[in-house]
Amino acid sequence: MLMKVNARALDASESSRGPRSPLQRAAIGLLVAGAVCLPLLGSDYQVRFVAEVVITGIAIMSLDILIGYGGLVSLGHASLFGGAAYAAALVAYHVSADLAIVLLTGIVTGMAVAALVGVVVVRTDNLFFLILTLVTTQMVWELIFRSRELTGGADGLRGIPPLRLHLGFAVWELSGATGLYVVAALLAVGCFLVAKAFIAAPIGRALVGAREQPLRMTALGYSIPKIRLIALVVAGGIAGAAGSIYPFINLYIGPSSVHWTLSAMMLIALVIGGVRSLYGAFIGSAIYLSFQTYASSYTDRWQLVVGLVFVLTVILMPHGVAHALQRLSGRFMTKNGGPS
Amino acid sequence: MGRFSITRRNFIASVGATAVAAPLCTPAIAQGVKPIKIGLVTSLSGAYAGMGESMRAGLQLFLAEQKNSFAGRPIELIVEDDQLKTDEGVRKFRKLIGQDNVDFICGVISSGIALAIRDVVAESKTLTFISTGSANDLARKAASPYIFRPTKTNWMLGSTAGQWAADKVSKSGCLTLAADYAAGREYVGDFVDSYQKLGGKVVKQVWAPLGTTDFAPILTTIAAEQPEFIYSFFASGDAVRFLQQFSDFRLGGKVKLVGTGALFDQEDVLPAVGDAALGGVSTYHQSPTAPASKAFAETYLKARGRLPGEASSSGYATGQVIKTALERVQGDPSNKEKFREAVLSGATDTIYGPMTFDPRNNQAILDIYVNEVRKGADGKPINTVIHTFKQVKDPGPGA
Amino acid sequence: MAFYLIQTLNALSFSVLLMLAGLGLAVVLSLMNFVNLTHGSFFLLGSYIAVYWFSSGMPWWLAFPVAFAATGAIGFLLDRYPFSSFYERTHLMQVLLTFGLSVVFADLMRWQFGGDVAAPRIPDVLRGVVFILNIPFPIYRLFMIVFGFLLAGGLWFLVDRTIWGAVVRACVTDRKFLETLGINTKTVFTAVLALSAGLGGVAGALGSGMLAAHPGLDEEVLLLALIVVVVGGLGTFRGTIISALLLGFSFTFGRVWVPEYSNFIALAVMAALLVLAPQGLVVPKLRRV
Repeated sequence: MLMKVNARALDASESSRGPRSPLQRAAIGLLVAGAVCLPLLGSDYQVRFVAEVVITGIAIMSLDILIGYGGLVSLGHASLFGGAAYAAALVAYHVSADLAIVLLTGIVTGMAVAALVGVVVVRTDNLFFLILTLVTTQMVWELIFRSRELTGGADGLRGIPPLRLHLGFAVWELSGATGLYVVAALLAVGCFLVAKAFIAAPIGRALVGAREQPLRMTALGYSIPKIRLIALVVAGGIAGAAGSIYPFINLYIGPSSVHWTLSAMMLIALVIGGVRSLYGAFIGSAIYLSFQTYASSYTDRWQLVVGLVFVLTVILMPHGVAHALQRLSGRFMTKNGGPS
Repeated sequence: MGRFSITRRNFIASVGATAVAAPLCTPAIAQGVKPIKIGLVTSLSGAYAGMGESMRAGLQLFLAEQKNSFAGRPIELIVEDDQLKTDEGVRKFRKLIGQDNVDFICGVISSGIALAIRDVVAESKTLTFISTGSANDLARKAASPYIFRPTKTNWMLGSTAGQWAADKVSKSGCLTLAADYAAGREYVGDFVDSYQKLGGKVVKQVWAPLGTTDFAPILTTIAAEQPEFIYSFFASGDAVRFLQQFSDFRLGGKVKLVGTGALFDQEDVLPAVGDAALGGVSTYHQSPTAPASKAFAETYLKARGRLPGEASSSGYATGQVIKTALERVQGDPSNKEKFREAVLSGATDTIYGPMTFDPRNNQAILDIYVNEVRKGADGKPINTVIHTFKQVKDPGPGA
Repeated sequence: MAFYLIQTLNALSFSVLLMLAGLGLAVVLSLMNFVNLTHGSFFLLGSYIAVYWFSSGMPWWLAFPVAFAATGAIGFLLDRYPFSSFYERTHLMQVLLTFGLSVVFADLMRWQFGGDVAAPRIPDVLRGVVFILNIPFPIYRLFMIVFGFLLAGGLWFLVDRTIWGAVVRACVTDRKFLETLGINTKTVFTAVLALSAGLGGVAGALGSGMLAAHPGLDEEVLLLALIVVVVGGLGTFRGTIISALLLGFSFTFGRVWVPEYSNFIALAVMAALLVLAPQGLVVPKLRRV
């Protein structure tokens, strides 16, 4: 009885329930149309850039599961993402660059690292959790940095064989911009559906409950560390899937991909895009990476610009672009007399 | 009419033919006016920001001196910041190639970034000049016919230091101390190889993690070991801290310090540490007191108020190499094979000294100077050349 | 024997640096429950001030009060806007705001001071070494140890033994109740933030002799400070001091015995401490509902 009441209360606080409004449907339609047109109209460089944005967005989305739904602000995501990237690169080097194998390696590595880190961190909270995830990430970084023979150390791994897909007799080369883009887009859709399913499942509800009412959940017999560990492993799997494709974008992977500053960047992108919206991760990734790449072409002071934008976002739009858009569309709908 | 004679018809025909043919010639003339785009990728933010700005300044100084034109063609310089991140570096390279359609790319301070972009450049066949990134692999496993390296490799500095140390410093009592990452390992490895080949004995090898804040424990260990001299490598902020703390612990008088040039970089390190670096010996391909570099040192001093170090010299020298090669192909870089031959065909006069390239891997063959930090005429420390190893050549692929 | 004595002194001086870096952060965190990631920026600014002050010819010992005043003033302004509206919000929001500001400050400082490394000219009276059983130890580090402990002691006295400190502590425990007593808690918080910023500046000024000022130092120091404070526990200064000592010694002796793995060892120690004491080393006695 108590659980049902809680579940419904939680339900009400989540948006995007029920049938999609016409505006949302139009937005999705536009997105799909744009996604299809891009490889036909955009330059090689632009398509590759979007592929990178999408891959990073997937990882950031998995971070949203932890932060937005689990309330676990983690600086450890780089170890999941980057660790999987290194594993995928090494497998491609020594075994095969087949898409299926690479993806599997990434997912398994992501989950394994998440489990290892999780065992250490799930009993801590808040600021302690933040620092502990930072420390564990740096430990992973140190390990990778030191293992020069295996990972190339500071120089990283280059000369990674290009990605390909074996389907029976056909072999598709996926190393071109369009190939990568298609893989990234399909992976994004897949991971988004997985994430959504996770959130809607009982375990996902329990995660939200653990964030909102930890005391009650414990009283009800839930083991909060176990719930968090599961969430961490799932997020690790998704981040690992994204990480496995990452080395093939530039045919290079380096230790900066397991550094805590990458985790911080994902956190920033997530906040800009909108915490607790899943798709906000992609918006944030697009905004941040675009700024980082394009702003630096125009001014030496681009970091100042990014910092100011971020500060303004936190002050004015603390729920990020995604929720600001939702509010706007909500207002638009009510003005027209439609459902809000 | 058997013989051709200037009839009115022939005359009109020939004038008409010239009139038709003339526009077809204008592309050749117009090409003299179309600018050559050069992309400079360097680190303008992050830990090497100072060096990145110096590299840009060096290249811009050269362009200004050449009135912004090489071999009769105007130069358009596009500067991009790689933020000392490999992903960003690769992205910027792709942008310059795919979007800006540059003719050349130059720059790159970090060896990691240089290695990362190698495949991108090889794939798109873009003529690239790595100005500073110096990992040995760049001249060996990761060499490419499209990448030129008008700079040293770590081997060139490490092995010459080993020779110098064995000959002139001491054959025993050497302790190595370096930052623990790829560059440090290469420098020390090559130093130890050549030092030991000449009979030198290394007592201990100490490694400090990158970004060490406190060298005190290591310095106390050194003070206890009392080696005769130390071979060391640190860069930028680490170098400043190390030298300062080294002098804090009064080790300067007791233990001789031999290092790679980066440890005593004229622009990046010496202004900050001042007298703490006096007496330090290093091997470098750059020196403000080298004869080839004297004029540049003066101009740079006037322009930026300090003597040039490696970063600014590399920007300037890269400009010199590109200009000389362009002149050899009459300002037309569209035939990449011909351009490559032009670069390799003869020595280029640069501020490093005469520069030739090894055709196997496009790696520069350079004079390596042995610098000692002495008090200059104005009281400030200056790297003074005390010996020159002429035309040092990296062993190259297969080494 | 002398070797280990010196290494102990080395460890102490590094611990003092960690402690100084962490104290300002600990002040705000434990007294105001506010995570201030601009702390590293204050440290760096203090370092730059010391560098320029030492080479300017004015009395060297004034560098520290000047650094304190300058950074304290900036802290004061920041409290006015935008910090004060964030005191009641979640840690995440505070982290995000102050992180963004630290990026802005870092770039402003790089614009102003340039990208090069700036090392201070240590005043003559502090130069030189003392020889302890034939091994040299810099006087400046002794100065740091003494000054650092004096500062920490003074702070502890201020917070624990004065009425002002009592007001601050009461303010954190029950702000609304304190207001009913007629005390303006807003002013109290402003004062605490200014104090914390000033502490960061002084720490930077002191540390500049060891670390040299350069872009990126703010991030390095912030990280160390954050770890020290969190490992120590968020309620008291004692925790910060203990964890600073623990971490300082593990860093130092790690570097003495296994220099290549010293970072990893230090990280492992930090992780172990956090796992064994998930609420920090010194947990304040709080009433739990």
